[in-house]
Amino acid sequence: MANIAIIGVGNVGANTAFFIAEKNIGSVVMYDIQDGLAQGKALDMMEAAPIRGYQHSISGINSMDDVADTSVAVVAAGTVREPGAKRDDLFTRNAEIIDGIAESMKGYGGTVVIATEPVDLMVMRFREKSGLDASRVVGLGGVLDSTRFRYALSRELGITTENITATVVGRHSDQMMPLVDYSRVNGVPVSTLMDDVHLAKVIDETRNAGDLIVEMSQRSSSFYGPSAAAADVVQAIVWDTKRILPVSFVWDGQYGIKDVAMSLPTVLGFTGIERVLEPNLSQDQVQVLKKSADELSSIYANA
Amino acid sequence: MNKVSVIGAGNVGATAVYYIAEKNIADIVMVDVVPGMPQGKAADFMHAAPSRNYNIKIVGSNDYAEIADSDVIVMTAGMARKPGMDRMDLLKTNVNIAKQAAQAIATYAPNALVIAVSNPLDVISMVTLKESGFALKRVVGMAGILDSTRFRYFIAERLNVLPQDVMAMVLGGHGDTMVPLPRYTSVAGFPLTELLDSDTIEQLVDRTRKGGAEIVSYLKKGSAYYAPAASVAKMVEAMIKDEKRFVAASAYLRGEYGHRDIFLGVPVLLGRNGVEKIYELDLTEQEQNALDGSAEAVQEGVKTLESIYTPG
Repeated sequence: MANIAIIGVGNVGANTAFFIAEKNIGSVVMYDIQDGLAQGKALDMMEAAPIRGYQHSISGINSMDDVADTSVAVVAAGTVREPGAKRDDLFTRNAEIIDGIAESMKGYGGTVVIATEPVDLMVMRFREKSGLDASRVVGLGGVLDSTRFRYALSRELGITTENITATVVGRHSDQMMPLVDYSRVNGVPVSTLMDDVHLAKVIDETRNAGDLIVEMSQRSSSFYGPSAAAADVVQAIVWDTKRILPVSFVWDGQYGIKDVAMSLPTVLGFTGIERVLEPNLSQDQVQVLKKSADELSSIYANA
Repeated sequence: MNKVSVIGAGNVGATAVYYIAEKNIADIVMVDVVPGMPQGKAADFMHAAPSRNYNIKIVGSNDYAEIADSDVIVMTAGMARKPGMDRMDLLKTNVNIAKQAAQAIATYAPNALVIAVSNPLDVISMVTLKESGFALKRVVGMAGILDSTRFRYFIAERLNVLPQDVMAMVLGGHGDTMVPLPRYTSVAGFPLTELLDSDTIEQLVDRTRKGGAEIVSYLKKGSAYYAPAASVAKMVEAMIKDEKRFVAASAYLRGEYGHRDIFLGVPVLLGRNGVEKIYELDLTEQEQNALDGSAEAVQEGVKTLESIYTPG
């Protein structure tokens, strides 16, 4: 029986299934509102299985009912932004889609991973409409921003990405907060290996990474990075690895902020978020978080 | 296809071959003095090839000539440590083995990179360097990566997090005087010191220092080989794939950290050219003193070495 559901099989959904298959993380069911799309992509992937050595099945489903038995569900339904558009512009359009999915997943026993943009707002919306516990609804904010930060650091330092941990917290927007003090090369703080000018350049690149890809490719937003991030979160949950990844979730008093979703490092396991880790932040950094939280609350309330 | 030769087909050597084969990193030659033993293990590996999807060849030999044109050579030959035995006790036996191997490497594989693994590691690295006449950056000792992987595991176990999320730096000689650096150790980017109190850290540091001995005390008749072999395979892969991997390894110092003409565990960049860079981290006075103490212990081993053989 499948333990992973993917809802919405556009670029992000389909590539998440692809990465999950490539790493043999678990069996996947895929659902899409467009009839036949999930079935077609699933069949295409399974026909690659003999060559790629997949040990699990991937199949398309026609009804959201079949999602109920899975232990993790990736929500990648919705539209993506066009060049020049901000993530928040998608809120109203995608909220409707998220509402429908959330309603049908009330009482879901697993963990939901939200990939739909604007992700922090979608996490808030999904949690509200589904009634699931905050520890069971996580979004790809910081985990994607961190992987981009890791890549940029690796390239600038000439050191393999595998050696590099990077932490990005806060809102998934240009207000994201790359934390230099919590970013390290095999344990060594990045600031001891890189001067401030280079660090500033890398941080700037991380902040604008999503926009840059939209600008470059014009007709689509990024999906390899987001799909890899989604597959990583899925793996941590279904394999109960206790991996520490910064994901977006609805806060409950962290840094004095409540009822708003942003990213912080969390320990992920079979029950979703098992622990939240709070980095030591400066007053200025806390102010940025508060500003982000206020903006998110106000967009959310006015929608 | 790249070629890796593993000298010494005992537990560490054979397990390193296993990890290298499982990732299809390179063709492998296993050399050992025991007649038939490397041939037998190589054949056994190849019988597993169809089930394990090996695309590489593994051959065994008693003849050093078989290592010809290797890209990387892993030197594991030597006696393993017995319970109650200090690493230095191994010196005399293992120096002679290393000497022969290094001469063979210089003859048959003059362009190879060499990873020294036999203990006492920092001293054996020196013998290998001197006997091979290789450039300094082409000889490196496997130590820091093993000491770090143990420290990482102990921390992960204590915090109930994934071991891969823990990164650690252990410098100094590969012995009881090694220098784990909690300040340069992190859990998903968090400084270790934010997650554990200093007493707990000190316990884990102490366990790391005695990590090799802990395994010996369980096994009684042998020493660790899974973690050492995993560390070897990581270094081989970094070199073959030119990964530019930042790890602690025993490298020849020429003034870095205030030491010269000595192999000592320091942070290095590993790639296709061997030790491509040595990083000098800022150390506190206490950390520097610990490193100096460790260097002294290694230096004593080198002195003993000089009394028992003349390089040539």
